[in-house]
Amino acid sequence: MTAPLPLRAGPGPADAGAAAAVVQTDALTKQYTREVTALDGLNVSFAPGITGLVGANGAGKSTLIRILLGLLPPTSGRAVVLGHDVVRGGEQIRTLTGYMPEHDCLPPDVTGTEFVTHLGRMSGLPATAAKERAADSLRHVGLYEERYRQVGTYSTGMKQRVKLAQALVGDPRLLLLDEPTIGLDPSGRRSMLDLISRIGAEFGISIVVSSHLLGEIEQICDNLVVIDGGKLLRSDTMTSFTQVSQVLLIEVDEGATELSAELTRRGLVPRRSGRGLLVRIEDDVTYDLVRDAVADLGLPLNRLEQQRRRVEEIFRDHDGEDEEAPGDH
Amino acid sequence: MTTESSVAAAGNGGVIHDLGYRRYQGQRLGRAGIIRALYWHSLRSAFGIGRGPKAKIVPIFTFIVMCLPAIVNTIAMAQHPGQAPVVDYDTYTPRLRALVMLLFVAAQAPEMVSRDLRSHVLPLYFSRPMRRLDYPLAKFAAFTAACLLLVEIPLIILYLGNIVSASGGSAVWAQTKALIPGLGVGVLWAVLLAAIGLVLASLTSRRAYATGLIAIYFFLTFTLSAILRNVAQQGAGPGPVPVQGPGLVVPPAPLGARLPGLVSPFTVIDGVRQWLGGTNPSPVPNPGGVGWAYGLMFLILLGVSLGGLAARYRKVGAS
Repeated sequence: MTAPLPLRAGPGPADAGAAAAVVQTDALTKQYTREVTALDGLNVSFAPGITGLVGANGAGKSTLIRILLGLLPPTSGRAVVLGHDVVRGGEQIRTLTGYMPEHDCLPPDVTGTEFVTHLGRMSGLPATAAKERAADSLRHVGLYEERYRQVGTYSTGMKQRVKLAQALVGDPRLLLLDEPTIGLDPSGRRSMLDLISRIGAEFGISIVVSSHLLGEIEQICDNLVVIDGGKLLRSDTMTSFTQVSQVLLIEVDEGATELSAELTRRGLVPRRSGRGLLVRIEDDVTYDLVRDAVADLGLPLNRLEQQRRRVEEIFRDHDGEDEEAPGDH
Repeated sequence: MTTESSVAAAGNGGVIHDLGYRRYQGQRLGRAGIIRALYWHSLRSAFGIGRGPKAKIVPIFTFIVMCLPAIVNTIAMAQHPGQAPVVDYDTYTPRLRALVMLLFVAAQAPEMVSRDLRSHVLPLYFSRPMRRLDYPLAKFAAFTAACLLLVEIPLIILYLGNIVSASGGSAVWAQTKALIPGLGVGVLWAVLLAAIGLVLASLTSRRAYATGLIAIYFFLTFTLSAILRNVAQQGAGPGPVPVQGPGLVVPPAPLGARLPGLVSPFTVIDGVRQWLGGTNPSPVPNPGGVGWAYGLMFLILLGVSLGGLAARYRKVGAS
């Protein structure tokens, strides 16, 4: 039961390139029925750190997470989590992994402390250790006095924090967070994302965080895995996602149409965005071209701003038009 | 150590040390330890321990009521030493016991399983290092233990009351010999009622429905069994209904009156008791030659309940 564990599974040692993947899948397929295929030959590898698992509702995120926990057998293919096969090593994986489900999973009539302590015991901690770690986990997620209140009296944000605390209580090497920001208001989302980011960076715990909102989790992820219809759409580090996403926003008080035509003539590809124009920054020459075009037309330039576009827009470019995710089951 | 290396990686000092995330280096219990922890947690919650005062009402009430006959017997024995005990170990005021157990199981079985279903907390259990059937196993063990405490503690009180008033070692020995089958019958009660209660409670996440379902099942089958028995006894007897009274030997019941006991778990248990040699009279006529049917029915009820419970949790966990 107590197999020797790697001391840390956080951001890898110096030879980062060789850092073992936290999760590795190989032609992973899950068919619920003949018609319903949740995962379709998925090949993907999650590096240590925070990985965003992005896809529309029904893309297969929750199915993937349940397979990774060893709760759902794959139809074919295989998956390895922290060095353990999901079919044979489910118990070891679940010893090393904390899971925060998407849906509400809290009994209303116990206090936060009681709840997290009990689940700590269910993670295999002895009674005293469970109590200590429950107090620690609740403190880490920012619940102090509230932890002695019944969970039923908590706000949505506090409930999400308790869910996170119970995932953290067993001192996992990997956290699987299924839509942790769901149902939260904007400020609640922001603080939840901050919290996840801190756990990933400072606690040295690898995290897989799923979301159907790309724009939201891109801020905190080191890596991004995008799945659609059970297939891998793209998997890369965050930096390579954003490298191609440097754009220049040009806002003029008038004459936007003329400017657009002028920029096109000069070899750029401007795109309308609200009251301004967006052009992709290829190199420094782009700035000169824009400056010259505005100056030559004598337009009143209002704003010239370099923006890091959100990953969401990159995909919009890739797909041409916004596409609705097909086959939502 | 980990924190420090993370600091180096993150590159900004102070804040991190304030957070002070500590790795857990201590002992981790395996599956058996986790099941044991869940067992104790569930056993405590069966008596409302660790819950609010409201959760303790039914367990305490049923426990007190269940102990009353034993206490009354103790008082009676103390006042009139040497007389025969009012209450037997193996039947123990059968109607009262059935009623109290019905109340306890209907109220507390949902406490054991429906709450977790209702609050969708099961994924949190199943995402921990236990197997699918460990959860129902721990719950069944805990609830059986809870029912056992409720049935056996009054018997122990009864026994203590009897031996205090008993004169001589042989009398004490006689009491002890009578207690042992009584405790055995208690095990039959606990195992079967816990299994049936849990499987019925696990069918619904609504606590009130679960309580209703269990109460109706036990009450209906118990009543049905009694009605069928009465009908058979009336139809079979050439004369009027046999008068039952003190000192009157009840004639062997007709076959039609010996079978309806198979309908209700309470009468099945009593039938098994008599089949296994229990002689103290109870509302259920001695099954005589069809005693094996009661034994079989007991096993069927137990098997179906436990099988249903396992199937239920295999399904719940997978979805």
